[in-house]
Amino acid sequence: MIFHLVLKDLKIEWRSKEIITSMFIFGLSITLIFALAFQVAPNLIRTFAPGLLWVVILFTSVLGLNRLFSLEKEDQALWSWVAAPVSRGTVYIAKVISAFIFIIMSELLFIIPFFIFLNLPSNFSFISFALILFLGTGAIVSVGCLISGITLQARLRDVLIPILLFPSASPVAIAATKCTGLLFNQIPLVNYLFWLLILGSFFVIFGLFGYLVFNQIVEE
Amino acid sequence: MSFFKHRNNLIHAGIALTLSVINIYIIFTLDPPNLAQGVFGNIFFIHVPIAWSAFLLYFAVMVCGIFYLTNKSIKWDYRGLAFAEVGTIFMFLVLTTGPIWAKPAWGHFWPWEPRLTTSLILFLIFLGYFMLREFGGNPEQVSRYAAVLGILAFLDVPLIFFSVKFWLPKMQSHPQVGQYFSSANPMSTYLIIFSFISMIIISSLMVRFRTNILSMNHTS
Repeated sequence: MIFHLVLKDLKIEWRSKEIITSMFIFGLSITLIFALAFQVAPNLIRTFAPGLLWVVILFTSVLGLNRLFSLEKEDQALWSWVAAPVSRGTVYIAKVISAFIFIIMSELLFIIPFFIFLNLPSNFSFISFALILFLGTGAIVSVGCLISGITLQARLRDVLIPILLFPSASPVAIAATKCTGLLFNQIPLVNYLFWLLILGSFFVIFGLFGYLVFNQIVEE
Repeated sequence: MSFFKHRNNLIHAGIALTLSVINIYIIFTLDPPNLAQGVFGNIFFIHVPIAWSAFLLYFAVMVCGIFYLTNKSIKWDYRGLAFAEVGTIFMFLVLTTGPIWAKPAWGHFWPWEPRLTTSLILFLIFLGYFMLREFGGNPEQVSRYAAVLGILAFLDVPLIFFSVKFWLPKMQSHPQVGQYFSSANPMSTYLIIFSFISMIIISSLMVRFRTNILSMNHTS
């Protein structure tokens, strides 16, 4: 059933292409602003790049999460969504998976221009980079879907998601920036296992918490 | 002010008032334990107990949230909201007394000390909590969302603390604390415990008062 719920989101996205496109263009625009704003000291940007990358990812995630959950509100789709013959926890897991797919895809699209525009070196392990991206995105998505769920009926939804997500996801921002920074300096993976552990535990804790409480969040 | 017409509440308020007067008198007349910090060193006796109570109050928000989600009784919602309000006032006091003490102790108002940073992040999450309470949707749904957010905020605490702690390893957490807890001079320890007990009594009075008002508004 998870498969069908994810497939539904993917199908809608395949037809409209609105979420990934908007996230990609938004990510590209922020990258452009960063590149322009840091022109005063182009060599400094290499030091700041890991932080900037995760700022871009967090900002675009807010956009994607907002859109992904808005889909369920259009045409009263919410009730048919939660009426899926599975537990609400499963509905949450399905949403996490589709959000993860969308955010990772948009990241793959804007990361190349990000490296090109900011003139960043690319001599590091791509497998480790992929691992950091996966864990970091997973952590953001696990708490992000929960927060999007709580703000689903809110009047100030667009404002509430970033207000709640940014402080809650601050451990992710710290840990992911730290990992990426060490990786960009070609420090081997074993030296930042602690930070990967923080990302992993964040993902597991909020993933499980979301699975447990999602039936309380979407209830008639 | 029907709250103070009950004898027990009046006694509670009397004890809280007496203890705070004694507490403030001691703090203002006590010889500073650290001459280098001067009279600012005494802020420790108010800052640390307030911080402990603030975290305890936020912990109570989580407990009330769990009770509300399990038995759906409205009184747990009121208690949760009252604990969150008082906790946020206390957290605000932590965030003002902290920098006042940090300036003479470290030379900066904001040294990114892990506990202080954790307090700031929690404070921000709880500002979002009140926005969610205000703009979240219909009251019954908002109570559930707020309960989930209260639990989420406290689950975040260990992750925030450890990531901030290892983010700046140079920044030890409270290096000055040890001098207040020396076995040679147990007086400071007793004072802290006394101050903590008076904070608990004051905050419990505030919580009970708020819960009373919230349930009266509901019944009227």
